[in-house]
Amino acid sequence: MSTRKASLTDKQTTNGTSKYVLERCASINEYYDISFKVMLLGDSAVGKTCVLVRFKDGAFLGGNFIATVGIDFRNKVVDVDNLKVKLQIWDTAGQERFRSVTHAYYRDAQALLLLYDITSKMSFDNIRAWLTEIHEYAQKDVVIMLLGNKSDMAAERVVKTEDGEKLAKEYGVPFMETSAKTGVNVELAFLAIARELKHRATQQPSEPKFKIHDYIESQKHKSGCCGM
Amino acid sequence: MDGEGQRAAASWENGTLAPVDRLRSERADSPTPGLVEGTEPGAGQKSAMFVHAQSFEDLTAEAEEEARRETELDKSGECADDLKALEEQHSNDVSSEARTKEEDVSSEAWRSHRKHVFVLSEAGKPIYTRYGTEEALSSTMGVMMALVSFVEAEKNIIRSIHADGCKVVFLTKSPLVLVGVSRTCQSDKELLRELQYIYYQIVSLLTLTQLNHIFQHKQNYDLRRLLAGSEYLTDNLLHRLDRDPGLLLSAVTCLPLPSSSRDVVSSSLQAAKSKSLVFSILLAGDRLVTLVRKKDQFLHHIDLHLVFNLVGSSSSFREGEGWTPICLPKFNTAGFFHAHISYLEPASELCLILVSTDREDFFNMSDCKKRFLERLSKRTAYTALKEALKCPSYSVAQVGIPELRHFLYKSKSSGLYTSPEFPEVYQSDEEQERLMGLYQDLHSCLHHPTRPLRSFYRCSESENLLAWVTSGFELYLCFSPLGTKALAVSAVTKLLKWIRKEEDRLFILSPLTY
Repeated sequence: MSTRKASLTDKQTTNGTSKYVLERCASINEYYDISFKVMLLGDSAVGKTCVLVRFKDGAFLGGNFIATVGIDFRNKVVDVDNLKVKLQIWDTAGQERFRSVTHAYYRDAQALLLLYDITSKMSFDNIRAWLTEIHEYAQKDVVIMLLGNKSDMAAERVVKTEDGEKLAKEYGVPFMETSAKTGVNVELAFLAIARELKHRATQQPSEPKFKIHDYIESQKHKSGCCGM
Repeated sequence: MDGEGQRAAASWENGTLAPVDRLRSERADSPTPGLVEGTEPGAGQKSAMFVHAQSFEDLTAEAEEEARRETELDKSGECADDLKALEEQHSNDVSSEARTKEEDVSSEAWRSHRKHVFVLSEAGKPIYTRYGTEEALSSTMGVMMALVSFVEAEKNIIRSIHADGCKVVFLTKSPLVLVGVSRTCQSDKELLRELQYIYYQIVSLLTLTQLNHIFQHKQNYDLRRLLAGSEYLTDNLLHRLDRDPGLLLSAVTCLPLPSSSRDVVSSSLQAAKSKSLVFSILLAGDRLVTLVRKKDQFLHHIDLHLVFNLVGSSSSFREGEGWTPICLPKFNTAGFFHAHISYLEPASELCLILVSTDREDFFNMSDCKKRFLERLSKRTAYTALKEALKCPSYSVAQVGIPELRHFLYKSKSSGLYTSPEFPEVYQSDEEQERLMGLYQDLHSCLHHPTRPLRSFYRCSESENLLAWVTSGFELYLCFSPLGTKALAVSAVTKLLKWIRKEEDRLFILSPLTY
């Protein structure tokens, strides 16, 4: 307990995260130190819900495609350097008719996971439109990450990894290919986001800046390779 | 009691949607169920929850009016030939490009479906088909539009084509055209009612304002773009129309629950209010547990069925909390409400729907849910509610009429109905749909546009049926084929007494408002 407390910054302690509260909350399984809003975006059927379910429950939603209706809100608490980070994740419907609802919640989001499907050229081409929309509605300092999902479907691939990398570089956002089916890089994507947000929120002037790109590169090489 | 009836009728003719105030004092003393609206078993004590829906005439009234202005056009022979020719021509030019899960629209199997439903734009562009793909049917839909326009050019309206055991029904709801092709023996009016539901389903996704706006801007817009991912809602609604008595009766059924428990649930829901919250609806599967509404705001049963359909069709609300725009077309076709949809517990059947007017109200609604759940979980009523979920229906044997197999009873003033579970003989899907078909037949006889019947007794080889409508209720009974008419008539009184005795449990008698 003492290590955890030590890792808390002044900000949280003044927010009332005392040891007492900490223990009491832990008993109802809802305890967290800090929370962030993350939003999943991208065309319909690129696998937003599947990526979320893989991350949250470690399962794959096989079988029929069920379109998300409106937006769907779920929580997951992850550990970052002994700090409990609650990610409030908005899973959005990719369909055009829900755009106006999604827009309304853009500006609350601190991080956006923007997905395309490596087997659909169209979903990749639309990424630019999504980025334009993001610049229009989201917070200026929002963390964006580009994900090329369905990396397990090598045979049907139409978007090359390099194309994704190139686009990400152009916009200066981190990029990786994921597979909700096999789980490749899914956890990493969310953890990198959590880490970046946590560093931003708790960073001391003396601490070195967290570099999300470097972090991803180092982790990707460790866990990657399979299916990529 | 007569005066009461007249008042109700008068208010209906005036077109007021709000329910009339009724004298309820007599009902408690009298053991015999009242036949007049407002005193029948299941009638609410204070005021109804729903928009005062007399019956399904309410649903078809608009179409009726349109039709009255124009004379009915019945082009049997010639059109049937057209249609056949068109189908033949079709089988030639449609290739097998259809996706694997889609069926070939030129096949005999496709043609022999019991009921087809097509939705197209006034430019003749396909929007929805129940079977096959819209792309493959674009020329068929073109011909449908041609038929509509051809008759319209003569300042007339095409309503239906009857040919060769097949009925084609048209519903023009600018900017959409809906076409039903049926091999069932349902009347035109029943088919039209189903098309209306499909129309409202589409409006609930987009609002009529948006729909009009789109087509004013671009006549040949492909609406499927905006409806993408919602096809399953329409598919499911069509399935419900074949099976759910609630859609037939224009009514909703409740989860049987002791009234003391229901009242606690309702008041907990009532306490969890918020400024822009308009309706709080608690469902258990397809059954209503309770509904709390803003004062002076009424929900129409069609809108409620659309909500049921949305919740029941998607597993996407199972986890987490959903937030979606929804237009309730009978309330207002111009705008969206925003619904917060979540299950009380992950594996629970209990689904809470909070309908708000504010698009940015998610966190408020989420908080309302939390407050409701906190309050409710402290009460024993929650345990009673969970207990009630284990037997969401009841056996017809409880009524104590040996020959009675099944029944539907609708209280007109409350817009609620009750019905036991299907007995042994109607266990299979086919048998259940057949029984529903029989009820539909009875329903169309009782609601015939020109010669409506008050009561109807019919004997057949497999069952005897009795239907009876009064100003207070609608009753449909199914007896074993060995029963007699006298027996059926005496069963009615007995059944009504039983429902009166059980009404606290089977109906929502004291609906609440915020």
